[in-house]
Amino acid sequence: MQRFLDPKVLAGISGLDLVAKTVVDGFVAGLHRSPDFGFSQEFAEYRAYSPGDDLRHVDWNVFARTERAYLKRYRGETNTLLTILLDASSSMSFASSGVSKMDYARYLAASIFYLTIQSQRDAAGLIVFDDEVRSYVRASTRQGQLYRLLSSLENAQPRARTDYAKPMLHFQNFLRKRGLVVVISDFFDSPEKIVHTIEPLRYHGNEVVLFHILDPHELKPELNEAVLLVDMETQESLEVTPEYGREEYRNRVNSHVADLQNRTRGAGMDYHLFVTDHPLDGALREYLSLRQGRQ
Amino acid sequence: MGFLAPWFLAGGLAAGLPIYLHLLRRHRTTPLPFSSLMFFERRTQSSIKHRRLRYLLLLAFRLAVILLIALAFANPFIERSAAAMAGEKLDLLVIDDSFSMRAGTRLADAKRDALAFLDARKPGERAQVMSLGSQVHVLTEPTQDTGVLRSAVDSVEPGDTRGSFGSLSSALRSMGETVHTPIELHLFSDMQRSAMPASFTEMSLPGNVTVVLHPEAKAPEANWTVESVSAPGEVFDPKKSRVQAVISGYHTPDAKKTVSLVVNGKTVATQSVNVPANGRASVEFTSLDVPYGLARCEVRIDSGDTLPADDSSLFAVKRSDPRKVLFVYEPDDSRSPLYFRAALAAAAESAFNLETVTVDRVANVQPTGHDFVVLSDVASLPASFEASLDNYVKLGGSVLIAAGTSAARHPRIPIFGDNITGTLYYSREGARFQTVGDSDPSYPSVEKAGHLAGVKFYFAVRVASPDARVAARLTDQTPLLMEKKIGEGRVLLFASGFDNLTNDFPLHPVFIPFIDQTARYLSGMETRVGSRMVDSFLELRTAKEQSVGVEVVDPDGKRPLSLKEAVTAQSFQLTRAGFYQLRLASGRQDLVGVNADRRESDLDVIPRDVLALWTGNTSNTDQQAATPGAVTQDQKKPYSLWWYAVLLLLVATLAESLLSSQYLTMSREEP
Repeated sequence: MQRFLDPKVLAGISGLDLVAKTVVDGFVAGLHRSPDFGFSQEFAEYRAYSPGDDLRHVDWNVFARTERAYLKRYRGETNTLLTILLDASSSMSFASSGVSKMDYARYLAASIFYLTIQSQRDAAGLIVFDDEVRSYVRASTRQGQLYRLLSSLENAQPRARTDYAKPMLHFQNFLRKRGLVVVISDFFDSPEKIVHTIEPLRYHGNEVVLFHILDPHELKPELNEAVLLVDMETQESLEVTPEYGREEYRNRVNSHVADLQNRTRGAGMDYHLFVTDHPLDGALREYLSLRQGRQ
Repeated sequence: MGFLAPWFLAGGLAAGLPIYLHLLRRHRTTPLPFSSLMFFERRTQSSIKHRRLRYLLLLAFRLAVILLIALAFANPFIERSAAAMAGEKLDLLVIDDSFSMRAGTRLADAKRDALAFLDARKPGERAQVMSLGSQVHVLTEPTQDTGVLRSAVDSVEPGDTRGSFGSLSSALRSMGETVHTPIELHLFSDMQRSAMPASFTEMSLPGNVTVVLHPEAKAPEANWTVESVSAPGEVFDPKKSRVQAVISGYHTPDAKKTVSLVVNGKTVATQSVNVPANGRASVEFTSLDVPYGLARCEVRIDSGDTLPADDSSLFAVKRSDPRKVLFVYEPDDSRSPLYFRAALAAAAESAFNLETVTVDRVANVQPTGHDFVVLSDVASLPASFEASLDNYVKLGGSVLIAAGTSAARHPRIPIFGDNITGTLYYSREGARFQTVGDSDPSYPSVEKAGHLAGVKFYFAVRVASPDARVAARLTDQTPLLMEKKIGEGRVLLFASGFDNLTNDFPLHPVFIPFIDQTARYLSGMETRVGSRMVDSFLELRTAKEQSVGVEVVDPDGKRPLSLKEAVTAQSFQLTRAGFYQLRLASGRQDLVGVNADRRESDLDVIPRDVLALWTGNTSNTDQQAATPGAVTQDQKKPYSLWWYAVLLLLVATLAESLLSSQYLTMSREEP
């Protein structure tokens, strides 16, 4: 478990200017905006009084000057609800160098959990899936939630194939409160099908972010001679020439990434590509910057 | 099909290496797990199959290279019958035009037989015509045109060179290196025994050559000839000049022959001589009275045989006046002129007229008009003579000085001009005498004198002359023979005497060539040779006479040298018998009598068993000769496939190189 709290990763995250500022300002209440309007400190707008409204919210100063009743509305700030959907199919175990996509996804999820729970006091949950839901940790802020999440992450071993339909259905059944949903996967499927499956999460008012994890060799395979490739999920085999790997494959995978990104953003979701040879803190920084920009 | 070196086929086992590399090693690659194959397509399999096919093509080329290397070393051949190869064979007609073919109708018979062969051969067969003397001359290229071949045969003229079957075999061996189709050699010759080389191995022929002989002479014929003539090249005194001739008979009975000496077409002397059976007889003409200038001479016999061309031997003689030599000596020295005169008379064939004068009477003698002057151990010269002699040398005259005990009384050598630094009496010392230590072999006086080996010197003078060329030194490094150029002339100093007292040189045989060569050198006279042999080379110029035109007129009155050759040719080969007129680079006009090699006069034929051994057929030589144009051997002959194997190997190597370099380019990862 200690590896998820790697001091280097934490140092990288803690060193961010954004995180430091958020901690000072009360990151727990301020980093994520609540989708509801509430009555807190930050003024939002005035609204004409209508029968049935709570008289406690009438701005009597305005009434005294104009003899009209207006309600003073404030921007509500609540703790957010983070749920990470982690793909644990066999293809996630691919590694061209030391770090597999699964490891990278674990580091990423653990860092987000730590950031969320320890710094922001938000509720966080986890669903590990392949073609079934393999483990589910309900989002909570209870004591020991971080360790439950990290334990579940550690126990998630890649196997079987990917099927987004079942976990999404499962998630929709259990999701009662709106929040932030992060889907971590290599997304080796049709972009149309992926977006079509994940898109319903937004209908409940969730913000959905896709973290696309790819190995550098999946983007630019280096083949010096014709090799027999075996699909890690289907066990199908295919002999591939270096020319194909250099030219057509790269075009197709780049096209896939671009298509997925366009469709994701077109559906009102967020998308980010992580390559496993990139630094993890850099990836978090980019993500948090992105989040900040959306607020 | 067979192999000349079948053990090399074992090298074909090396073909297992590319098979291992291509098929076995490549198939041991393990499958590579990949996250998803959704971006790969089945159609890439065709690329793999295509590549595999190309790898198999590369493997095939590599196997072919190894197998062809082994095959080439094994030297494969197939046995093909002569009949099957007749369509590719080349009929090579060689007509002997050597000197012996002048006998009777030999050459005409040979040309007739060759034309008959050309008429009898099948249409479409290739043939080539050559002539054979001392060398092989190609008259046509291989062709099917009978007209060209017939005209080439008709153009063969009798030659004067000596036949050489060794040259023919050598030419065929060279031809066999480039022509691999069968060659059927038809030799139209008198099969003269003297045409055989010294070693039978020099007549070996390549494997694709078949010999068919067409002998134009069945048995040796009787022939008399003037075998050799010994005559001076230059005549100074006709009464003292002698001509000796040797008359030989080959396969001849006893006969009495008349021998004539002919000068410029006129018979000047006649003698009769009995020539024994198969033997020789000598004839000597005691005088050679020729007019001044160059004379065409010959010794002629009346042989009445079938080869009249060898009944005379030609030589050229030049008539000149003898050269004058002035010999100055001390009155009490009677030995020096005696020895010098005897040596000069013995060597130079009366070429020099020696005028001896004692030193006390030389005052009124003028050196001008003499070819050179000899001062033999003279103590001192009259002042007037020394002055005139000094002037004579500066104007181009030559002087030979012998410095003996008398000359050593004075500190200076007259004319030579250098001082005597010491006198060496070796007889008074422990060594008793000195011999010649070092000598310059390029110096004319020493060259033919055997470097004065064995001559004992009891006395010598030591002269220090830094600007003189030293031609010989004694063993104590005392200069013995020195030459100094003074003005236009030259002075030669012999540091001892000619009197048999200071040395024993006059008693040694080498004294004669020494005096002869020294006299010729100082007088500028060259040794002239009046007769030469066909095929010998004539020197046209020396190293100092480059870019000077020469002129050669052959016996037919034609000039065989082109203008360029007349300026650049160093030598000229004499290919015809007769008189050649020459104008050499030195400007000297000359005349040379050229005679055929007298070995051609022996008309003996090669034994039948030797011919059979040469042709490789010991049973049907006569049959071959009787049926010209017939295929000689119907047995199968090996036909080498080595060239084809090497050609295929070259093609396979090139294809393998191109294909593999293409694969290397494809496998290289982009940057």
